[in-house]
Amino acid sequence: MTARIASRILLLVALVVFGRARADSLAPLTLDRVALDNGGTITVSGQAPPASRVFLEVWSEKAVTASFFDARRNDKGEIPYKLYLTRQLPAHYRIYLSRAGQSTLDDYARKGSGWAYSQALKDTGADAAFAVPAARPIATYQATLMASIAGSRGDLLPTLDSKEARRRAMQIVKARFRSVSKLLSATIEERPDGSFTARVTIPAGAAPGRYSVVAVAVTGQGVVKSPEATLENRIAFPLLYLSNAGTSLNLFTPFLLALLVSIFGVLMGAGGGFILNPLLVSLWPLPHTIVAGTVMPTVLFSQGSGIYNYSRIKFISWKLGVTMGLAMLAGGFIGPKLTELITLDQFKFVFGWILVVLAGLMLWQTTPAYLQKNKKEQAILKEFKRRAEQEAAARRDAAGAAAPALESEGGPR
Amino acid sequence: MTVEFWGQQFKVNIVVGCLGAFLTAVVASMFGFGGGPFMVPLMTVVLGLPMYLVVGSSLLAIFFNTLMGSVRHIQFGNFDLTLFLVMFPAAILAGFIGPRIAQRVSPQWVKRIAALGLLVLALNLLGLY
Repeated sequence: MTARIASRILLLVALVVFGRARADSLAPLTLDRVALDNGGTITVSGQAPPASRVFLEVWSEKAVTASFFDARRNDKGEIPYKLYLTRQLPAHYRIYLSRAGQSTLDDYARKGSGWAYSQALKDTGADAAFAVPAARPIATYQATLMASIAGSRGDLLPTLDSKEARRRAMQIVKARFRSVSKLLSATIEERPDGSFTARVTIPAGAAPGRYSVVAVAVTGQGVVKSPEATLENRIAFPLLYLSNAGTSLNLFTPFLLALLVSIFGVLMGAGGGFILNPLLVSLWPLPHTIVAGTVMPTVLFSQGSGIYNYSRIKFISWKLGVTMGLAMLAGGFIGPKLTELITLDQFKFVFGWILVVLAGLMLWQTTPAYLQKNKKEQAILKEFKRRAEQEAAARRDAAGAAAPALESEGGPR
Repeated sequence: MTVEFWGQQFKVNIVVGCLGAFLTAVVASMFGFGGGPFMVPLMTVVLGLPMYLVVGSSLLAIFFNTLMGSVRHIQFGNFDLTLFLVMFPAAILAGFIGPRIAQRVSPQWVKRIAALGLLVLALNLLGLY
């Protein structure tokens, strides 16, 4: 008896909720496919009120950390130096709009890296669909010179209000995805009766997992949304998802790249970090922060083994190395904090000039004048090294241990 | 500061050395490399030390930068474990293969090719092609 009443109440509640949902939301979307293999294109169709403008918001469940550093002079003539950071930005995010918007997108694409995402959203009306990143928590830090020297992000400021959060979320999204084509796509075909179809593309190399699609219709009365439709993107070995970088890639390519560059580094008597970094940011859509932060620990161990090899033959001045090393320890404390304060474009620009200087240094070391001057030095270096190795071998023989061949560390510089 | 190395004494201007090392470390750790290619010219050309003293000692110095830089990058969340686990074995393997190839190639030509490669890469980064 009670059970029957309870079920009737439940039914009533369900009817009310369902009925209300119908009144202020669009019909559920239809997806022609709900499972993808390393990306692909699906067709989404739905129904909106006639004469409305339709947008689709598509995002991945997988999220990444992204940030935007505001160092531009504002209206008051001050430079804010604020860092906006979210740990929950979707790894893939794109808004689809009507085909009619293509020419506007082309105009924005021609502006190059200086295009304004917020302005593009406004011009196309797509800001009505911009919702998911704005709802994710954003931390704001007040960066100062002193904080930077102390190696901290600065003071954590109070939570942003929703309007400000929305504005900053757009800047973070732009800083992360950068190009017009990655963020906006004009593929929706709208028909006079309000029905629409759109081609939604999840690119190869995008994050695996669940993706959500929501249609947003802007009518004379306001904004109506459809329930969330979901699809699943799968990736299989040898593709791996880099969870912090938000990209999947074939594991063999970075392996081979790291192998070749590190061998070349050994031949030059240097680590390979300064070649590996720019290659990684150029070849894949990897954030420069992740690349810099992952390459450093990678070369750490090769440097360690190099030091071990030199110390075995007593070829290191510990006094000099440690003294200068302490100065580098202080520098290494500050540098990584600065990486997130620059954009990928600035990273590439500065790195470009670093490489020009390095190429100059290396060419200079191969000029006949330098080689002539260096010849005597090289001979001394070889002689010292030979003596050191002999002595080390003698010590090992005396200790009664077999003397393994020494791995000589690269060519002389 | 005076440094003794294999029975010889070297005078080092440690203020200039440490300042240069500090600035190199800030830039190098910001861009994710150890700083060796800058430290060797700093110690040989600016400080006037002989190459045989510099090769091992500069490596020791940049190890401090790489160690601290790695810790800090990980602390700031700039680290991807999967990418690391892919590249790390490659770097170890290169440590075994590299020295075997090194005995057979001319260091001058390695540097010339490297310089050319770096220039191409630099032009790409600067968006010139």
